[in-house]
Amino acid sequence: MKPVSLRLRLLIAAMLAIFFALALAWTGLNLMFQRHVEQREATVLIRQAERIVAGITVTPNGTPVLQNPPRDPRFDEMAGGLYWQVSFPSGALHSASLWDQSLPLPARPDAAQWRTRTLTGPFNDRLLVVERRVRFDRTSPAVLIQVAENDADMRQAYAEFGWELAGSLFLLWTVLAIAAWVQVTLGLRPLDRLRVEMERLRRSPAARLPAGYPSEIAPLITAINALADARESDLSRARRRAGDLAHSLKTPLSVLSAQSRRARAAGAEEAADGLDRAIAAVGATLEAELTRARSAAARAAAESAIDAEVLKVVEGLIGVIERTERGETLVFHIDITEDLRAPVAPEDLAEMLGALIENAARHARRLVHIEGQINEARLCLTVEDDGPGIDLPHIEAALKRGLRLDEAGTGHGLGLAIVRDLAEATEGDVTLGRSTLGGLAVSLGWKTPV
Amino acid sequence: MRALVVEDDPEVGADLRHALQMAGFVADLATDGETAWYQGDVEDYDVVVLDLGLPKLDGLSVLKRWRAAGRNFPVMILTARGDWTEKVEGIEAGADDYLAKPFAMGELIARLRGLIRRAAGRASPILTIGGLALDTSRMIATVDGAPVRLSPLEFRFLDYLTHQSGRVISAGEIAEHLYGAGDTTDANTIEALVARLRRKIGTSVIETRRGLGYTLAETTP
Repeated sequence: MKPVSLRLRLLIAAMLAIFFALALAWTGLNLMFQRHVEQREATVLIRQAERIVAGITVTPNGTPVLQNPPRDPRFDEMAGGLYWQVSFPSGALHSASLWDQSLPLPARPDAAQWRTRTLTGPFNDRLLVVERRVRFDRTSPAVLIQVAENDADMRQAYAEFGWELAGSLFLLWTVLAIAAWVQVTLGLRPLDRLRVEMERLRRSPAARLPAGYPSEIAPLITAINALADARESDLSRARRRAGDLAHSLKTPLSVLSAQSRRARAAGAEEAADGLDRAIAAVGATLEAELTRARSAAARAAAESAIDAEVLKVVEGLIGVIERTERGETLVFHIDITEDLRAPVAPEDLAEMLGALIENAARHARRLVHIEGQINEARLCLTVEDDGPGIDLPHIEAALKRGLRLDEAGTGHGLGLAIVRDLAEATEGDVTLGRSTLGGLAVSLGWKTPV
Repeated sequence: MRALVVEDDPEVGADLRHALQMAGFVADLATDGETAWYQGDVEDYDVVVLDLGLPKLDGLSVLKRWRAAGRNFPVMILTARGDWTEKVEGIEAGADDYLAKPFAMGELIARLRGLIRRAAGRASPILTIGGLALDTSRMIATVDGAPVRLSPLEFRFLDYLTHQSGRVISAGEIAEHLYGAGDTTDANTIEALVARLRRKIGTSVIETRRGLGYTLAETTP
């Protein structure tokens, strides 16, 4: 089952909760409204009934007579909706509106207070009835006074009120749902930020999530950072171990080289050749492993700055290479303007150009030429030498095949494979060509930000 | 030959010291940056092997302090990362050579001997040509007091020109001096060398005589 999004879950829950609360409010308000209206109507009916009571006189033979019947026209019209009835043991008086019908008598005839009830009466009307027994003097029997009103108007008022209330509560529900949506969105915003920063963390093992998250998320951030720490230390331990391993293999390798020399001196040419080949292969693997670990470390460290001053980097590198035995005798010609910048970290640029310039210095006769220019929003850095030239198709083919560093061996191939790895990691490319000076020309290219 | 080994790892440090002693050096060992700086400051060493990652004071800072105080013994730095950025930082701080860990002890000894030979071969006088001063002992040049870094080849080129007392020297002759033998393509190389030098020390020091060669500008008395 696909997990429902947190936002949707929270929203649905909020909307349902609000809906039930409002439905409850609707029911309660309706009940209160009905009770209120009924009480008011009952009060009006009781006033009518009291007027009737006041108008009753009892004749000497004990029959009540109503002197001034109430004047509401509905009392006079048949089924007019408003009825009165005065019942006594020997008969009853009633309004004209009752015609030949009569109001049902109460089940318990002992009420001495005004009582209210609802019943279905004459003409199938639903009636609100107020009733009371009145005794005019000690000797005469009790008289039952009843006034009733058709409650159709009231029920219509209830219905109208119900609908209007429902309408406004629905509006309220909409507003509250929007508020809930806003609340959920605001509440989940730190998660969006977290996602962006996790992406950064994925790209750079050295990065950490910054503080400043809400207290609910902060423990998660601490846990993630601890995980990243563990991952990084594992990684660096693995790298260190690879470095140590490479290191520890170097001594046995030199011992083997000595053995091979001895074997050659003793005339075992074939065995010595085999040994040398194996030693060269292992040595290349070691170099490649160390270089890979170094460039990975450089990349992790350089996550922050991705803007290199090309001339500064080149001058620094040449300062180093000029001090090597090969570099001491060479002229380095730099054709790069001071404001030229490359869209890569200075450390990465140094690794790439360092490998290229060192390669060029190894093969150059007198001169290494380094040039940088921007053409059609493309930065192009070229390193050339005036050496005797190399087996260009072979190197190109090897690079195209996606040669691994350790297969390339030392020399042009290894350096170039490192450069290509780094160039690809920084969204650049490497092209090889023959220099007009005679040797190899290697170009690094990047799209420059406009 | 006195050597100072600065290395915080006791095993590697002892190893280095032993290897240097076997090679005929008198070797002292310092295991932290502050001790190293103090020893280098008060003792005279012929060569220093300096690890960069040190407790108390890092290797680059130690080196910068020595150079600022005028201590100019040759320094070989040992870098753990061995990447170019670290090499550049080391050389710019005043190191003479670098070796990436892990290294072969034999190579270290050979390169230390090379450093000592180079340091010993340097004469000490300071040559001045106009605003340019060459301190041949430290391989440091200054233009109007501001330090400029020159390559050994550039040094040899300037050194050669200063000893020709105003004579115009052809590109071929320069190439022959610098490389032992010249050929026709060397004119471009020398041109590039001069162009690079002019960027470093200004355009007025070396004059081009079209078709003839190069000479130094008349030194102002």
